[in-house]
Amino acid sequence: MNNFNTPAPHYETGSVKDYFSGLYKGITTTAKGMWITFKYVWAVKPVSIEYPEVREVLPERSRMRLFNDVLNCISCTQCAMACPVDCIYIASEKLPEGAEIKKTSNGQPIRLKLTQFVIDEALCCYCGLCTTVCPTECLTHTHDYEFSQYTIDGMKYDYLAPDVIAWRDRIVK
Amino acid sequence: MQSRWDIGEPEPRTINKATEQLKSELLTLNMGPQHPATHGVLRIEIWTDSEVVAHAIPHLGYLHRCMEKHSENMDYRAVIPFVDRLDYLAAMNMEWNYVMAVEKMLGTEVPRRAELLRIMVAELQRIGSHLMAFGTYALDLGAFTPFLYAFDYREKILRLFEEVSGARLLYNYYWIGGLWNDWTDDQLDRVAHFCDEMEEEAKKYHELVSMNKIFVERTANVGVMSVQDCFDFGATGPVLRGAGFKWDLRKNKTYGLYNEFDFDIPIGTGEQGVPGDCWNRYIVRMKEVVESIKIIRQCLEKLEPGSVMAKVPKIIKLPKGEVYVRTECPRGELGMHLVAQEGEKSPYRLKVKSPCFTHVSMLPRVAPGQMIADFVASVGSIDIVLGEVDR
Repeated sequence: MNNFNTPAPHYETGSVKDYFSGLYKGITTTAKGMWITFKYVWAVKPVSIEYPEVREVLPERSRMRLFNDVLNCISCTQCAMACPVDCIYIASEKLPEGAEIKKTSNGQPIRLKLTQFVIDEALCCYCGLCTTVCPTECLTHTHDYEFSQYTIDGMKYDYLAPDVIAWRDRIVK
Repeated sequence: MQSRWDIGEPEPRTINKATEQLKSELLTLNMGPQHPATHGVLRIEIWTDSEVVAHAIPHLGYLHRCMEKHSENMDYRAVIPFVDRLDYLAAMNMEWNYVMAVEKMLGTEVPRRAELLRIMVAELQRIGSHLMAFGTYALDLGAFTPFLYAFDYREKILRLFEEVSGARLLYNYYWIGGLWNDWTDDQLDRVAHFCDEMEEEAKKYHELVSMNKIFVERTANVGVMSVQDCFDFGATGPVLRGAGFKWDLRKNKTYGLYNEFDFDIPIGTGEQGVPGDCWNRYIVRMKEVVESIKIIRQCLEKLEPGSVMAKVPKIIKLPKGEVYVRTECPRGELGMHLVAQEGEKSPYRLKVKSPCFTHVSMLPRVAPGQMIADFVASVGSIDIVLGEVDR
């Protein structure tokens, strides 16, 4: 059986001189700190950004919502393999006989027909590994960071949907 | 030290003469997992005797994300985002440790510019992490303003990191064989400017907090962890140095290019209180900020243009074997034990030895006999990040 009779901490009361010198030190050091804070009233510019009205310009390399330009995608599935959390779902099928083989903007032939390209952005960890392996540079991180949804399914983006394809004109990067 | 299983029922105790006839029991109080003073999701079960802590039991596992098991199914590059999430306040240092382990087995020569930039980034991250520790520690003790000052300057570091890596907290910046992106001269100039600013700022912090009588009263002689305690539990980093033992892996077991750098290892000297108390642990961190600035300046002098990425195979496969790499992180000594199998694309095992885990285990040692308010100061002074404790 253990004994939990812990002695209460004993605090030295000290002499009268210590008491007053402590009091003096307490007041002066606190006043010093207060003065530093007080200087901020005039001497220092505010650093906070009033967010919804003022927006910070993001650096070029910022990694926000992913966007896939499906017209340039060759369905190589390298991004899905590189993804550490497996949030990219790709399906493709063979082109029908005699169909014209289109080319991407950097000249690679598109030999497969992309039937599904979905990214679950709720699962995405924004590490950027998928964008580095993309051979046609169609999968990129955009600068959109305001895309909260009411349901978690709303975070699944189907990049073959016409309204999402239309983003490619808007997104510069 | 007793584990929580063999503690048994506490004996009734008498408090003083007036209540001698009354039976009194220890009160169990749960601090956390949502308590702001626990720095994350740590639950500490405290057995209190009036306001005195009789026993404290940390309960871990609220942030357990199976990082070690996950990494066994990832290829070597994809582990880096997971390693980021260990200590999310010093993600660069975590990445460096893992990347160094893989490079050691792969036998990759990292370009000199990349090595120097790695040191610079790691030291910037150390400053950022210590600023966070400084801010939240003052917040624990009831001072709100230093927190804002610290975040102002931490923000500048994060902004630099965001420009160079693309993320603010979880960077995926150190790659196997080098770095993802190079720094431009303009960004390096801003680092130099930041060093000048930070040096002035550190002096301000000393005036504002370190020598403040109220702060000293709250922290000096509180939560003393002696050198022997640190050895018993395996504590490292600012906890060990705060106790007065000069041990820093950057000097003692040098890695990277740290042997080319000239810097001191600050230790707790007992300027206020005794070595090993909360104040000395705190002051070691603040002095380390100044030392880090020194290292960054030397880095900027040594930098020469060149490549930041070595040639590595597209699919990394390591030879059979194992390696243990340890580095000095802001919170202490981080170790990673990497076991690789021949022809496998992912690690066979990646064991992480976390500094905060050992520091949390020291809490039951310092807790008995403390007031609850002092216990909060003790928890804050070891500067734990639960992401690293639970992994």
